[in-house]
Amino acid sequence: MKLKTEFGDREELLTYLRATFTAAAARSSDVAELRGGRKAAEAVLQQIQPQRYAATRNHLRGTVSRLSAYLRHGVLTLAEVRRFALQRGGKQAEKFVTELAWREYWQRVYAKIGRDIWKDRESGKTGWRPADYTDGLPEDIAQAATGLRCMDSFATELRQTGYLHNHARMWLAAYVVHWRRIRWQAGARWFLTHLLDGDPASNNLSWQWVASTFSVKPYYFNRDNLEQFTDGVYCRTCQHYRNGCPFDGSYDELQARLFPRANQAYE
Amino acid sequence: MMNCRRGCFRALTKRMNDVLVWIHGDDLNPQSRVLQAHPQAPRVFVFDDAVSEHYQLSLKRIAFLYECLLEIPRIEIRRGDVFAELVAAAQEHQCNRIVTTESVAPRFARLCAKLRREGRLAVETIPTEPFIELSAQENARLDLKRFSRFWNPLKARALSLNQSFDW
Repeated sequence: MKLKTEFGDREELLTYLRATFTAAAARSSDVAELRGGRKAAEAVLQQIQPQRYAATRNHLRGTVSRLSAYLRHGVLTLAEVRRFALQRGGKQAEKFVTELAWREYWQRVYAKIGRDIWKDRESGKTGWRPADYTDGLPEDIAQAATGLRCMDSFATELRQTGYLHNHARMWLAAYVVHWRRIRWQAGARWFLTHLLDGDPASNNLSWQWVASTFSVKPYYFNRDNLEQFTDGVYCRTCQHYRNGCPFDGSYDELQARLFPRANQAYE
Repeated sequence: MMNCRRGCFRALTKRMNDVLVWIHGDDLNPQSRVLQAHPQAPRVFVFDDAVSEHYQLSLKRIAFLYECLLEIPRIEIRRGDVFAELVAAAQEHQCNRIVTTESVAPRFARLCAKLRREGRLAVETIPTEPFIELSAQENARLDLKRFSRFWNPLKARALSLNQSFDW
């Protein structure tokens, strides 16, 4: 079946897509602010500051590139972005280029393992057995109704914009897998539904990195870490800040709470 | 009579060797190597209903892809079963050869095999420009167990704009 290719403006395109892809629109009819296309990609590329990336990338307001969706769909190639970053940032672009290399690495692993991208690469290091994890994403997480201001904000942003800062992805993934003890595959599927840069390689293997099925230890965080890199914007208005924040505690305390059966020190 | 027949046959042969460019979601660059190699060829993208269903894709992902596609001149956008749509497009455009960008997705490899086997189409894949140039031997030596093992031997080269020094 052939689809239309001439549209007067974006609104006309979106109206057409909502009427044509009804199942997708029923899942979530939000559209991203980020525009598709090479022209938009080149405009975003011109804005990158690879020399500031290493120092600020962990902060939610940090100087990150927002190029991921264009790279995932080949609108820009890794090779040209690498050249551009080195020309602009020189030696200071090292961390930025290293992050490009992560995408190259995930692609190569995917080429090697194919559909096994959905299976644990290794045994987890959390002390829990695979059967201890629940299948399927709980509704309160998907609907941004956990009551945790940070996680609900990330889930809302994911659904509305199709983008999350990398650190937010890590926090959200760690919450799903370690605090809620959900199988990483459920979270990975949720992200692929929404992320404009969704790609089984980078996405699934990053979830596995958090889960510890493709790393030497599980990734987890505490409230201090989240507060620091968000300027506390979520904590300030969270009902659980003084009462029952599940992320409150030292890394040792959280490790004992989350992974009581693990006999190995992680941090 | 003989000349005419030969002429008709030649015209038919020429038409049937024509290329159909298959654009897929791993390469939506309007300046891609595939499009540069075949600037006059018809180009087709197919929204894969099975993939949309499997990954439960949301509308914003489809809208992003669509906006990328609309910047590719003369793009024909279809939806449905990718194999069936590509075979139909090849017939409509009288093409017997599909040229497309390489992809690591296992579904891509299965589709290429099916197009050759059941669609009776020649399929040629063109790689995108590599992140860094590596010889076949270097590629074979890469250790993918952990990122650090992959990256450490390549780092100096990847961080240099001039890739010509020895590894």
